[in-house]
Amino acid sequence: MKVEFWGHEFEANMVVGCVGGFLIAIMSSMFGFGGGPFMVPLMTVAMGMPMYIVVGSSLLAIFFNTGIASIRHFQFGNFDLLLFACMFPAALLGGYLGPQIAKRVSPLVVKRVACAGLVLLGLNLLGLY
Amino acid sequence: MKRKFGLLPLLASILTFFLLVPLDQGLAETSAAGGQAAPTISIDKTSLNNGGLIRVTGQAPAGRPVFLEVWATDKNVRANFFDNKKNKDTGKIPYVFYLTTEMPAYYKIFAPKELQPKLDEARKEGKKWSYAKVLKDLGAEDAYSVPAAIGIDRYQATLMAGIVGSRGEKMAAMEAGENRKRSMQLLKSRFRSLDKVVGAEVSVAPDGAYSAEIKIRDGLAPGVYRIVAVVDKNTKSAPAEFENKIAFPTMYLANAGTSLNLLWPFLLTLAISIFGVLMGAGGGFILNPILVSLFPLPHTVVAGTVMPTVLFSQGSGIYNYSKIKFINWKLGVGIGCAMMLGGFIGPKLTELITLDQFKFAFGWILLVLAGLMFWQTTPGYLEKNKKEQAILKEFKKRAEECAKRGESGTATCPTDQK
Repeated sequence: MKVEFWGHEFEANMVVGCVGGFLIAIMSSMFGFGGGPFMVPLMTVAMGMPMYIVVGSSLLAIFFNTGIASIRHFQFGNFDLLLFACMFPAALLGGYLGPQIAKRVSPLVVKRVACAGLVLLGLNLLGLY
Repeated sequence: MKRKFGLLPLLASILTFFLLVPLDQGLAETSAAGGQAAPTISIDKTSLNNGGLIRVTGQAPAGRPVFLEVWATDKNVRANFFDNKKNKDTGKIPYVFYLTTEMPAYYKIFAPKELQPKLDEARKEGKKWSYAKVLKDLGAEDAYSVPAAIGIDRYQATLMAGIVGSRGEKMAAMEAGENRKRSMQLLKSRFRSLDKVVGAEVSVAPDGAYSAEIKIRDGLAPGVYRIVAVVDKNTKSAPAEFENKIAFPTMYLANAGTSLNLLWPFLLTLAISIFGVLMGAGGGFILNPILVSLFPLPHTVVAGTVMPTVLFSQGSGIYNYSKIKFINWKLGVGIGCAMMLGGFIGPKLTELITLDQFKFAFGWILLVLAGLMFWQTTPGYLEKNKKEQAILKEFKKRAEECAKRGESGTATCPTDQK
């Protein structure tokens, strides 16, 4: 599929995009996360799209997934209103404070800390320590 | 509201008073019926504040073990269990999904203290313990009565049904014995650990007088709880009642079946969503595993509640990008449609797996994510990313200027994307 963006034309391999997106969507809706960190590499590396198209468009694609998965979780009775009511304002506040703090720290350091944290958390979930 | 809370303990004490009074008559009646005398029961307090100790005393027929069945009467929770173990008799895998909404939010059987070794033995089996086997070993089968009668729906799951995201075809209701057996599996899947549903706390004297210190842990459902002393099927005491109270900011999460101090999830979400912004990944990756690890929340509820919280920030992100025409709608909607299909199926799968499988799979997902993050800190990627970021910034600047001038479709400004 040909994709036009700001006067440039790109060839997007929609088969890779759709199959990959489908699998990522199953995983992310099953485990309840957004899936951005998986979608961005899929679209940049596997589909070969430049980053500046991907940032906005991947968010749009994920939004579809999160929307429908939220409805489905609600249908299956997995939604707890009170827990939502206490997490939602916190998420909003975090979304507001986050970018302000982001200006003051090095993204590289954050990524490395996150990396170590994720490994620890992952190993913990696997019951390895 | 205030008035109601003032009245409740009073009501509870009146209730227990009435419950205790007719006991003597009940005793006489059962003796007359030819069976053994029904045990008596009394408790030292009628209300608790988010858990505590309750002392239960009474008199049972001499020389018999006494079990206490304790359960929450006001609050029920959902429990589900997917039977995908091979049936030993038929050699087939049943793939039946059991679901109830009537499981008591709290249920526990207390056995005589002497039976502790049998519990220790069951504990050795780790996560493979079976409630039916434990009750049998303890001789507590007669004490298990309340969950045995709950309504359970069962569905025949098929691959096709899984693909279209349905629970499968609803099967005929079960007869009492089957219902009882499945309720035990549901109980296990709901409360997970052995110690939450069975304990050995009752001391029985040779003359049949018994006493027990029952610990009601914190974080349980509020409302009225009942305790019944059970000797055998026909020899049971009248229920004693007490009330568990909780106060703000601790609140009862109806769907999760636990009382929680709401401050903790709030602070946790705040910290993690800030960190999520910094590392460029949504908070869900870290929030979900921490929520299921720290709090006794079912993974289905965690997944189902965290998803909609990120919906808003995604929406505002899309709005901001679309304002500067930074979204390719064709690409986004195209992949979005495929993702929608996936998002339709995924939530169904959440309830088919157990918490341990959830944690295990999540562990691997996080390791893969850590790998991706690490790759993003390698020099080669950073070099490439620098260029990309520069282009991104340039485009953004141009887009903002265009938006300001209200231009579109000129040499420097893009046409509206469709």
